Amino acid sequence: MTQTRAITLNALSLYAVALVLAAAFAAQLLLHELPCPLCLLQRILFAMLAIGPILNIRFGPRPSHYALSLLTAVAGAVASTRQVLLHIMPGDAGYGSALLGYHYYTWALIGFIAAIVLLAAVLLFDRQFEDDGAALPPTGGLFAQAAVWLVIGLTSLNVISTLLECGFGACADNPVVYELLKRF
Amino acid sequence: MEFTLLLFLAATIVMLAAWRSSRVLALGLYAAVMVACVATYLHHATDTLKLSF
Repeated sequence: MTQTRAITLNALSLYAVALVLAAAFAAQLLLHELPCPLCLLQRILFAMLAIGPILNIRFGPRPSHYALSLLTAVAGAVASTRQVLLHIMPGDAGYGSALLGYHYYTWALIGFIAAIVLLAAVLLFDRQFEDDGAALPPTGGLFAQAAVWLVIGLTSLNVISTLLECGFGACADNPVVYELLKRF
Repeated sequence: MEFTLLLFLAATIVMLAAWRSSRVLALGLYAAVMVACVATYLHHATDTLKLSF
């Protein structure tokens, strides 16, 4: 895999992260299901997955950039496993609604494990770390730039959403209303 | 102020630093945010697991 292809693959991974963040927003806004604090932590870790690809697009692919995403994916898998275990007892309905039979935190666990496997697979290709001489723009081209700004935009929207949900206090364990909007 | 809100804000700043600023600054900020994420996780990990063996 050449450096140019690796950068395209990194841009695609940013679109995948954007899709996850957008799906979480869709569940929150369309189904009126507010995320719990542990759910929000998993969302943050999905957003943090994007930092490795952003660095790869901006500075060129490096193993250390992939390592950042790997560490984040492991942390995300631990957090989502914790939430799966919280609701593992028979008779526990789980938190929130299910999508295709699995709750969102179960999908998050699957997503983080898939990220670990994919990152390890991409690291097998050594040629991406050699300069292939292609005249790449310093920011990877329009496709990659759009992916970067999409993820940054969605993460910024989460700042606003979390402010509305939790206000300036601690987030409720089982949130049902937007705390900040309740005051007005 | 709720820590989760600050984590989202910090994650956005790390992304902007990775895209617009220096690589070293982005790596340093990333490390700080990851430590904060682990601290937040450990705070929530004190909830009781309803397991019985």
